[in-house]
Amino acid sequence: MDTRLFSDRSVWTMIHGIVLGGGALMALAAALFSLRAMRAADPANVAAQVQARYLAWLVVFAAAALWLTLLIGTYVNFPPYRATPPDGLTDLSQYPRSLIQSNPETVWLHALAMEIKEHVPWIAAMLATAVAFVATRYRSKLLTDMRLNGMATTLLAICFVLASLVGVLGIFINKVAPLE
Amino acid sequence: MALMDDNREEVVNGAALASFLAAGIGAFAVGFFVIVNEAGLFAAPALYGPAGGVSGRTSFAAVTWLIGWAVLHRRWKDRQIESRRVHTATLVLIVLGIVLSFPPVWRIFA
Repeated sequence: MDTRLFSDRSVWTMIHGIVLGGGALMALAAALFSLRAMRAADPANVAAQVQARYLAWLVVFAAAALWLTLLIGTYVNFPPYRATPPDGLTDLSQYPRSLIQSNPETVWLHALAMEIKEHVPWIAAMLATAVAFVATRYRSKLLTDMRLNGMATTLLAICFVLASLVGVLGIFINKVAPLE
Repeated sequence: MALMDDNREEVVNGAALASFLAAGIGAFAVGFFVIVNEAGLFAAPALYGPAGGVSGRTSFAAVTWLIGWAVLHRRWKDRQIESRRVHTATLVLIVLGIVLSFPPVWRIFA
């Protein structure tokens, strides 16, 4: 009998959703705030040069956390989620997709929620990577060039909305059919 | 140190716009590979069997994004580009990628 508090699958789910996904969302929120709050009209602003360095690290962290979240989600969490149960098995608790699809009221969790979770995070990670690249390469210009700042803010805002949506959908799925 | 670092700052915007537009191309590629799969036109092969087709679709999209970024970066990195059109194109591509990744839309093409 397995007496561990959490199974390996459960631990990986927590790393995926809470540690990395949650960390990415917090970093994205902080980066979004910083992009707006630290804008400076003067290109020679010394404070902006220092702040831009911290902002670059923040966005790089957010992008890295997003990539790790989706890679673990796709290659570690998703395979056991979609595994096919043996014929005749009545207890589907170890087969989340089949469990969800066995109940008409929860079918949408796969048909809509998981289908979105499979693809949309990749878009979010690409957007965060683009902004991380610009933050690293352009440093304080990201805070003093209003057009560059505006576009970076827009992309990060889209990224934040997508990552939040995917996170909420993941919570719904995990409530009904957790990987245990 | 920060001042020294900032002395190496980019002056032209080409590299930034290349990365933004490439992200748009990557976002659209995600939606594109999803929708052609759902429409039965092209199914990207699974690169990792246990994960199924999603491993192929997303990898193809990621490769498209990286190739697009490399090409655009090489062409634009030393140039000052008019940003308005690039921003608009980027946002249009992102919106299309998101819409095409949305399951209710698949029924229109399936």
